[in-house]
Amino acid sequence: MELEPKEKQKQSVSRRDFLKLSAIAGTGITLGAAGMGAIMGIVKPESGKASALSNDRISLYGQHQAGIVTPQQTYMYLASFHLTGDDRSSVIRLFRDWTKFCDLSTAGGTMKTGDNTLLPPNDTGETLDLPAAKLTITFGLGPTFFREEGKDRFGIAAKAPRYLKDIPRMPRENLDPSLSGGDVCIQVCAEDQQVAFHAVRNLIRLSTGYATVNWMQEGFISATPGKTPRNLFGFKDGTANSEHDTSAGYDDVVWAGEGEPEWMKGGSYLAYRKIRMLLEVWDRTSLKDQEDTFGRFKESGAAYGRSGEFDAVDMSKQPGSAHVHLAKQTGQRIHRRAYSYTNGVDPRTGNVDAGLLFLSYQKNPETQFIPMLRMMQSKDKLNEYTSHVASALFACPRGLKEGQYIGQNILEG
Amino acid sequence: MLFKKITSIASISVASVLLLSACNQASPKEAAPAAQVADTQTQQAAADTKNPVAEDAGKLQEEVKKLQDAISKKDAAQVKSLGKSINDTWLSFENTVRQAFPLEYTEVEKYEMPIFSASAYDKVDFESLKSNADKLHGALEQLKNAKPSTANTSEQLNKAVENYKAFVDEQADNLALQTKAFAEAVKAGDVELAKKEYTKARVYFEIIEPIAESFGDLDPKIDARLADVEDESTWTGYHRIEKALWKDKSLKGQDKYADQLIKDTEELQKQIKGLKLEPKVMVAGAIELLNEAATSKITGEEEIYSRTDLVDLAANVDGSKTVYLAIIPALNEKNPQLADQLDKQFLATEDLLRGHQKDGQYVTYDKLSTEQIRKISDQLSQLSTLMTQTASIL
Repeated sequence: MELEPKEKQKQSVSRRDFLKLSAIAGTGITLGAAGMGAIMGIVKPESGKASALSNDRISLYGQHQAGIVTPQQTYMYLASFHLTGDDRSSVIRLFRDWTKFCDLSTAGGTMKTGDNTLLPPNDTGETLDLPAAKLTITFGLGPTFFREEGKDRFGIAAKAPRYLKDIPRMPRENLDPSLSGGDVCIQVCAEDQQVAFHAVRNLIRLSTGYATVNWMQEGFISATPGKTPRNLFGFKDGTANSEHDTSAGYDDVVWAGEGEPEWMKGGSYLAYRKIRMLLEVWDRTSLKDQEDTFGRFKESGAAYGRSGEFDAVDMSKQPGSAHVHLAKQTGQRIHRRAYSYTNGVDPRTGNVDAGLLFLSYQKNPETQFIPMLRMMQSKDKLNEYTSHVASALFACPRGLKEGQYIGQNILEG
Repeated sequence: MLFKKITSIASISVASVLLLSACNQASPKEAAPAAQVADTQTQQAAADTKNPVAEDAGKLQEEVKKLQDAISKKDAAQVKSLGKSINDTWLSFENTVRQAFPLEYTEVEKYEMPIFSASAYDKVDFESLKSNADKLHGALEQLKNAKPSTANTSEQLNKAVENYKAFVDEQADNLALQTKAFAEAVKAGDVELAKKEYTKARVYFEIIEPIAESFGDLDPKIDARLADVEDESTWTGYHRIEKALWKDKSLKGQDKYADQLIKDTEELQKQIKGLKLEPKVMVAGAIELLNEAATSKITGEEEIYSRTDLVDLAANVDGSKTVYLAIIPALNEKNPQLADQLDKQFLATEDLLRGHQKDGQYVTYDKLSTEQIRKISDQLSQLSTLMTQTASIL
């Protein structure tokens, strides 16, 4: 081919130019959207490396999906998808591809680069030298997965789980519909942000032609092992999780069962709220007001009138509108798994856009979560410092057996 | 499976595909001669093979005859209704045609598309419809009499390149001609006319953009946007005049840019004529066209003053489709499933874009809502992902 691109005369060659040059010069057709489809040639991690790092892996398989009661990893991505296919077979195909990718990446593997160098590589490659980093990938299904605008789009409406509905309107919320809901939600967590991003990126790539990504959020949380992590207000978040930290406790709080379709027995409902926190206002608030807001001491995490973080809350010592007081008043428990987020600076105010990606898992959102949320939204003193900007509810199916794909017992038979 | 492992160079078929885009703009220059089948390697006597689509082609031809009648009676309602029903009929058997008769397929597709597009317009352009209907009738005649090709040699891709090159050359000719018309309007100080001619000229550039851009010294002179140039005083080309027309609203001092643009596009035309293309470059170019559409066009960065980004975007897609049509014989051989999927996605893309036309003209970019832009973008990314896989035939 005789297309020698002349040295560009322009002083600098932009990335756009560079792409054009390389494409035309035939130095590679590695541009553009990823080639998918036949990704499933795989590179399993070397076995030597495998044993050395085995505590770095969390199995994709089990009675329950990983990433729900799994101790929180440091980084999280939450992505919501809209399915574009109009038949069940396209959903099956996507879920199969996704499952294969999850099987591989949670084991620390990457997709094999194909033999044809003219095609884009199957894997994006940024984790080639990285371990699994406790990667978990958790799938949830939104109400529209089963029925959209009254239409049984994939012929599975009869299999909808018992409590799957959008969270009803709440007072004081300020939701952005483009950041809320979705047909499918994927929570990706890992101890290494690059590993987590690699997974979500390739899941998006694999969805081309079957789904489009609605929104994606990234979060972080950090704590010394064994300690409760703190949110961006500097308070411990999830202290109450310890109360149900047993197998029986999880059955009581997290795992759905009774009255649910087979595929949901052992699954859980994921409630999501994106809560913007007005950090600047909070940081100008006295320590006393801050502690009154939560009903806990900031440093120790102990409830008012107590000295240890895990001491039972004494309701008589709680200010009426304190966060902990309201949460306990409902008498309900949920399993919290929240992450903090930051997203640059609001150009109008110069304030940092940051907050909490509130995630909780529960077996029955109608009794456990929604009344609690409603009470908080009407009374919680925290409302002065927060604003709910996005919302969603997803049903996370029970765990997978090896050889099954995500959602198989919904989509088949 | 989307792609197969490639072990050998694509093999044969003797196909000569002539490709013209389904572009809605009228060509200043008429098309080069149509498909010629040099069927030297037919392995079996084709005489006893029955043409499986002859009947369907005949039926479609009947409808086209009705359309020709309606055109001669200037019956707009009838023309529109037939435009739609012809498309339905064609869609009902086009897959079989693409498999069995890729050459004839391309010919039918070329004339059928504009007829369907025109059926959605408020105003009917009987003259151009007549010409397309006559040619469609002829193409269907060829299809009726076509013999299934069992061709099987390695020239397929080279033939595709040859035909694609003919298309590129023709577009380069059109580009030079149309740019001249544009430049004349600029020099005459006719803002309204210049705006019209501008949009027409841009199509011929965008439809072969990666090829045009491969001439590193000419491309910035012709197509640089303000954001691309280091020193604004050295800025020339289409977008310089675009700014004068839509932003400054004055053509004062534009003559020198108009003259330069004529010179540069004529030089480009000359250089393109002398260019030797290879399959890799052709396929890479088809992918690059979609990338262009998906990056600079869909974001509205290309035509920041005229807001005719969708015109460019559609031309990019058309250019890419031309390559797809050229490589159908090779795809049928190596990866027929990919051809099916591409066909579906090109149709979906064209459908979606057509929805943003008013009387055959694309709406300006500022009329699109975020949701509409996102929808086009999603569609483009599906198409690009598939198009990338065409490298599997190389």
